[in-house]
Amino acid sequence: MKSLLINNIMGQRAKFRNKKRIVIKVGTSSLSFTNGRLNFQRIEKLTYVLSAIRNRNIEVVLVSSGAIGVGAGRLGLKDKPKELSKKQALAAIGQAELMKIYKKFFEEYNQTVAQILLTKDVMTDQKKYQNAKNTLTQLLTMGIIPIINENDTISTYEIEFGDNDTLSANVATLVDAELLILLSDIDGLYSADPKIDATAEIIESVNRITPELEKLATGAGTSFGTGGMVTKISAAKICMAANIDTVITNGTDPAIIFDILDGKNIGTHFMTKEKAVV
Amino acid sequence: MIDSKKMCEGRIVVRIEISALSNAEGKFDHRKMDRLAMVLSNLNNSGKQLLLVTSGAIALGSDKLNLKKQPQSAVDMQVAAAIGQAELIRFYQHYFDQYNQIVAQVLITRDVLDNEVRVTNARNTFETLLDMNIVPIINENDIISTEDIELDDNYPLALSVAKIAKADAILIKMDINSNFIIQPRGSLKPRFVSDESQLIQELENINDELKSMDKNDFYYPVSIDEILVNQ
Repeated sequence: MKSLLINNIMGQRAKFRNKKRIVIKVGTSSLSFTNGRLNFQRIEKLTYVLSAIRNRNIEVVLVSSGAIGVGAGRLGLKDKPKELSKKQALAAIGQAELMKIYKKFFEEYNQTVAQILLTKDVMTDQKKYQNAKNTLTQLLTMGIIPIINENDTISTYEIEFGDNDTLSANVATLVDAELLILLSDIDGLYSADPKIDATAEIIESVNRITPELEKLATGAGTSFGTGGMVTKISAAKICMAANIDTVITNGTDPAIIFDILDGKNIGTHFMTKEKAVV
Repeated sequence: MIDSKKMCEGRIVVRIEISALSNAEGKFDHRKMDRLAMVLSNLNNSGKQLLLVTSGAIALGSDKLNLKKQPQSAVDMQVAAAIGQAELIRFYQHYFDQYNQIVAQVLITRDVLDNEVRVTNARNTFETLLDMNIVPIINENDIISTEDIELDDNYPLALSVAKIAKADAILIKMDINSNFIIQPRGSLKPRFVSDESQLIQELENINDELKSMDKNDFYYPVSIDEILVNQ
């Protein structure tokens, strides 16, 4: 029974070798040191990996956090501001800086990038949806890597995605991606809280998001990002409904993306509906 | 945003020789300075405080004047240094700015250590700059200090700065490869780091080792021969 399950899982992951359009989401924790400031060596490695994947003719969309942290660093602020208007101001400063750094590193690998800032009404307003879809599709056809973030400076409660896990899942559906990879400081979804329970293991694959599974997700989270496992599970839910595979894994070494695309059992794989083991 | 516990974990004097910023023909190499600015900005972001001691003013000034060879007389060298120092800082500022890092220029004379008031003044300036998360870029004020201008060696200056700022280590970058040498404070032996991605880890290790040691102003000397052997 167990070996049958493993075979099925391996079969599930083997198809990752044929993915042609993927969305990668990196959280603040994957881009920064623990003090919240950017880790350039990490970002450089990420741009190298994504450029190499793009050179294999795989279309890549990057959803990147980090703007507010970069803005705070630029202004030399020692504390993260609480007020919305200040956060929005920092996002405006930091987003430009972040793009400058991405552009610089991607250019080392001869890779062109574009910036796209989205608000949630793109998903509900038919015209905006179509415009965004057309632009993204055109960029991907031209071999460009779009770098997407929430348009924080104009996002208010009614139109915000709220976190970049949700944003990346929406982007994955928008561009009809085949795979979403969520990189953070969490190795995957654990069977129990690894800080408390020594027997906790990473769940390699999930074919149905049950209330029990959602309960496992509570508690995990990092200090700097807005997400945690809860938002990652809801992102996986959105993708499952749209028949898009999702993998949650640790982004400390961005080269892990190569292994995922090789079909290795890394992190937690949220399987697509119709191909799931029944 | 910034975790105060992780801040100020280590203060490093970085000693840059112009040869580390030159290509095989001995010409200034912009890519090398860009890379160095990236590695150092990253070190700073990781929570280290950096003071940069750099040579290169005379070489860049000679380049700017299209001199076929390095000037020989003291006054010619000083002229080249005056022109080249402005160039050198302009380049550092440009490349550090790519990584959102603010730098400041500090020119001091080597006798600064002989005078208590000057030491205090220099220390206060360094402390204030470092507290503002700015990297001071320090060079000898060649125009008014003639004694050592012909010596193409900024080690005495780096040592003075390390003592003034009570740095935990001197990080030396003097070849055209990606190698670094770390001279820790106290009686710890110098270390050779050939992979720049290991720098942060190695400096963390030194920081941990220093915690259980008496802090003094001694930096185990490294000779050029040792550096060459390690390459």
